[in-house]
Amino acid sequence: MSIALNVITGFLGSGKTTLLKRLLADEAMGDTALLINEFGDVGIDHLLVEEVAPDTVLLPSGCVCCSIRGELKDALLSLLERRGRGEIPAFKRVILETTGLADPAPILATLSNDPQLRGRFHVGLIVTLVDACHAALQERLHPEWLAQVAAADRLLLSKTDLVDEPTLTDLREHLQALNFSAPLLDSAQVYSGDQVLLGEGVRSAEPAEEVTRWQLHRVQSTPARHGNAQVCCLTFDRPLDWVGFGVWLSMLLRCHGERILRVKGLLNVTANQGPIVIHGVQHCLHAPVHLSAWPGEERNSRLVFILRGLDPALLRHSFEVFSSSFALSLSESAA
Amino acid sequence: MCGLCGLLGEDVHWSDPLGAELPRRRERLRRIAAINKVVAPFRLKVEDFQGVSYLLLGATGKQELATGLEQLWQKAELLIGRPLDPLDSRLLEHLQRSS
Repeated sequence: MSIALNVITGFLGSGKTTLLKRLLADEAMGDTALLINEFGDVGIDHLLVEEVAPDTVLLPSGCVCCSIRGELKDALLSLLERRGRGEIPAFKRVILETTGLADPAPILATLSNDPQLRGRFHVGLIVTLVDACHAALQERLHPEWLAQVAAADRLLLSKTDLVDEPTLTDLREHLQALNFSAPLLDSAQVYSGDQVLLGEGVRSAEPAEEVTRWQLHRVQSTPARHGNAQVCCLTFDRPLDWVGFGVWLSMLLRCHGERILRVKGLLNVTANQGPIVIHGVQHCLHAPVHLSAWPGEERNSRLVFILRGLDPALLRHSFEVFSSSFALSLSESAA
Repeated sequence: MCGLCGLLGEDVHWSDPLGAELPRRRERLRRIAAINKVVAPFRLKVEDFQGVSYLLLGATGKQELATGLEQLWQKAELLIGRPLDPLDSRLLEHLQRSS
């Protein structure tokens, strides 16, 4: 059975290790394997985490996105191997703490594209910590900040006690506008073993619950730019042709993946009673999930994108042309 | 492998057929027809190769083999020398005309 890998990310100093320490103090977390990145030769993270989690496996080098790909695979396979040999206790989930400069997209790519990992691990939730104190500066200076916020399934605000209330309210609104569907929690209010953080999202036994949480039908396109990013909602009333849709989206992600920070969608696909849920980060899409029933009254297909530097009007036009074109050819072939 | 069609199948991709009830070969041919509709304005053609890969044919006779959709777009880029952009206005005009 495939094991969920939950990712905890956030910019340097946003409190990832502090959160992990609190989460792992709980006895219910005993069936968790933790993977952390050691940054450089110092390995402070390792020292902090080791006390509470003896099953820690360290990734040997601290290099960010590029190096994590190869080594993450080795670390995961070695975990499985050691578990098989009985050297480490059995675990039900893996938590990966990334370095502060990591972009979460390559992790998803590794897990879904690698033949040895595919089917053994899947990405559960991406939890992003946002340093309330330095968010504005980090957003301005580091493109990774936006990638991490957009990729998040859960957003956690840390260091809220160091910021005054109006700034905090502005930041909350800004984060909700950027990543509409991720629940925003206060890091200090998260207690050990919180299932909101440790669930599996749409891959759980109750995917409808997570999809309802997304509230896709309430999201609106943003006319003004939020910093660098924009939200774009696309809807289509008639049932979509899955083949044509797959061609369009795969082509789009190949060509513009770096500018599509996040995509989520609930699709009404021909010949499927329930909706199909898709979601992905940049170039990489999770396997689609079938829902047995629609979460609300509406039955139209709805796609929500977080874009960086891509014109939403162009995207909308392309989607409409493609979906109409393929919907027509399908009805012709059925006639 | 699909016993009915003798297909080994291509690499797993998120855009694979949703239901298992339709024959895989039929779904694959539908996908190839959809791809051909899209790549036609770039003067490319795609054919099935052994039910596993795609054979891309350029206007000048250049050919490339690709496994899976990701590689297909990558090889198409190699053949035409630029990315196949679904936002390209000429492609969208072509699709509007043909429907």
